[in-house]
Amino acid sequence: MADLAIAPPRQEAAPEGAAQLRHARMLSVGARCALPVALLLGIGFLAPLVAIFGYAFATPRSFDVFTSFTLANFATLFDTTNTVWLSFFWSCGLALLTVAILAVVAYPIAYGLNLVFGRWSALISVFFVFPLFVSENVRLYGWVLFFIKNGVLDGTLKWLGLAGGPEVLYSPGITLFGMVYTYLPFMLFPMTLGLALVPRDLVDAARDLGAGRLFIWREIELPLAMPGILIGMLLTFVLAIGATAEAKILGGQSIIVISHDIEIAFTYSQNWPLGSALAVLVTFFIGALTLFALSKLDLDRMLGRR
Amino acid sequence: MAHISRRSVLQGMGAGLGALAAAGPLFNANKAFAAREKELNILCWEGYNSAQVLDPFRSQTGATVKAESLTNDPTMINRLRAGEINTWDLINVNNPWARKVMLPEKLIKPLPKAEFEPFFAKMMPEFKWPYKWAMSEDGSELIGMAQRFGPYSFVVNTDKVSRKTAEDTGWDLFNDPALAGKYGILESDDWNVFNIFIIAGIDPFKVHTPDEFAKFEETAKRVFKGAKLIGDIASMNQALISGEIDLHMTGGTYSVSPARADGHPNLRGITPLRGPLPGGKGGIAWIEITSTVNNPNLSPLALDFLKYVQGPEVAHTVAFAEGTFNPVAQMGNKACFDLFTKDELDAIQWDSLQEEMDRSAEYDIVPDYDKALDLMNAAKRLRG
Repeated sequence: MADLAIAPPRQEAAPEGAAQLRHARMLSVGARCALPVALLLGIGFLAPLVAIFGYAFATPRSFDVFTSFTLANFATLFDTTNTVWLSFFWSCGLALLTVAILAVVAYPIAYGLNLVFGRWSALISVFFVFPLFVSENVRLYGWVLFFIKNGVLDGTLKWLGLAGGPEVLYSPGITLFGMVYTYLPFMLFPMTLGLALVPRDLVDAARDLGAGRLFIWREIELPLAMPGILIGMLLTFVLAIGATAEAKILGGQSIIVISHDIEIAFTYSQNWPLGSALAVLVTFFIGALTLFALSKLDLDRMLGRR
Repeated sequence: MAHISRRSVLQGMGAGLGALAAAGPLFNANKAFAAREKELNILCWEGYNSAQVLDPFRSQTGATVKAESLTNDPTMINRLRAGEINTWDLINVNNPWARKVMLPEKLIKPLPKAEFEPFFAKMMPEFKWPYKWAMSEDGSELIGMAQRFGPYSFVVNTDKVSRKTAEDTGWDLFNDPALAGKYGILESDDWNVFNIFIIAGIDPFKVHTPDEFAKFEETAKRVFKGAKLIGDIASMNQALISGEIDLHMTGGTYSVSPARADGHPNLRGITPLRGPLPGGKGGIAWIEITSTVNNPNLSPLALDFLKYVQGPEVAHTVAFAEGTFNPVAQMGNKACFDLFTKDELDAIQWDSLQEEMDRSAEYDIVPDYDKALDLMNAAKRLRG
């Protein structure tokens, strides 16, 4: 085992003289050592965003990034005849529905992980995490094989002498199913954490004072677990609004989602400026929504500092 | 027991940074080894990037060969336009792009004729020197080598729609309301633009009038609305095999051959007997042309690789590289043709290849593609 010799804490004495003042204002050794990596990460984070932002104002269907400036791409997107709003509508609608369904589905599981499953909780958690180790596309193709005509479900039912499975593939409904399936862990675990922060003493006290189960849930559990629930909802919404694979693989492109529209602009259309403008709009929309939601969250309470 | 202190960590980091500084030139290998004798970068359609094709070349040359596959031509060409001309050595795209776009824009450079002309003598008759798509517009320069090709119109499950009916009815199958909900559309939007024009009874490879665009828009909305699914090649083959769909628009040897090789000979690429293309042709065929990029520091291995894939064994491997199976021009050479088994020939529909190619116009560029694609994308959004 390695010993880590930790330097004694720095004396916080008032600096004396210009040299000491300069020394005090300098970054610590650790910060200076981390500077190159921090710069690299900063550039890596900012460079693509700056490029996308630059392209959003470039001449349509050109590569004149930073050398041309036009609002034509945004004008195209806001043109009333442009049907891109349909894609936006589908992405937002499906993301909202995904969040709503997951909130209802994940809550009992999160409750169970905290209070019911006991020593099995860890194993059950692993079952929910395990699918994340397999590529999303592979899992979705697996569902196609399950639902497809003469596939696992239909074939088994026919083998049993029944009429066969329902025709569910290639529809907006199955796209929603795919999104709920894919994003379940992202709702479940923040929610589990939120519920874990509810002090059991408070629940017991309320019960002792005669509060009913519904009252305790509404007045104590839900408000105290809300930061975790909201984080889960936010995370799920942000991921779901950018989802493409579900609509493509399970949904058979029965609807076109906004991220697919961006992809088309960058590939077949080769209209990088239009795709960038669309990406910028979606980024701002999600960013504004995230900031709004975070402003409503009391992180101190969530982290248990109060 | 290791003793780690802040000092030792800092010393270690200092030594690491020193080593990094010393190794700095390696990060700029392109310039350090100006000739790039041991490096080759290929931008291609899938197949040329397979280990079956590349590994023997890597072993022969000891070179680092990188290949990236993409599934549409404009993306590859725009990668060069966007500055990657210094990265790639070979580019493999469909026939018209080299001659009509990449050479005039100086994105590719001509090949030494004397070295490559003899290879055309061993190709199938229609590829004989001077093969149109391998030459510059004025015929003076050799700008690429031909290899894979194939007809590409639509695919049917012949148990549901017979080959005779499909060839005779042609593109009107997609105008038939009875077939709505029974067909898929391959996600290959440049080809879908061609095919929507053809279904509308219009030659795609010309400048279109407003009336023709109105017809195109109406057809696109109807055809996309009637499609059961839009997806990639695997999705189309899976849907055909399972019985979800009876046919799909945009497809041919390239897309259906893996399913045929997998024991589904009832799935078949169809080239209609007639259509609105010049000469009354009903289908479109593609021919890949591989060219040397106008890289100021072109790898000498680029020319070696172009010669390597002309060999009978390698050409056969290219034809049956993972992903898709296709005929190759080198099948004109008996030594190459003899390597194909009966099953392989059946997978690539060798029995009807010649007549299908004869009924097909060659892939070309749609002059007003951008407008047509925008209309088609809008039509696609109305599916939901």
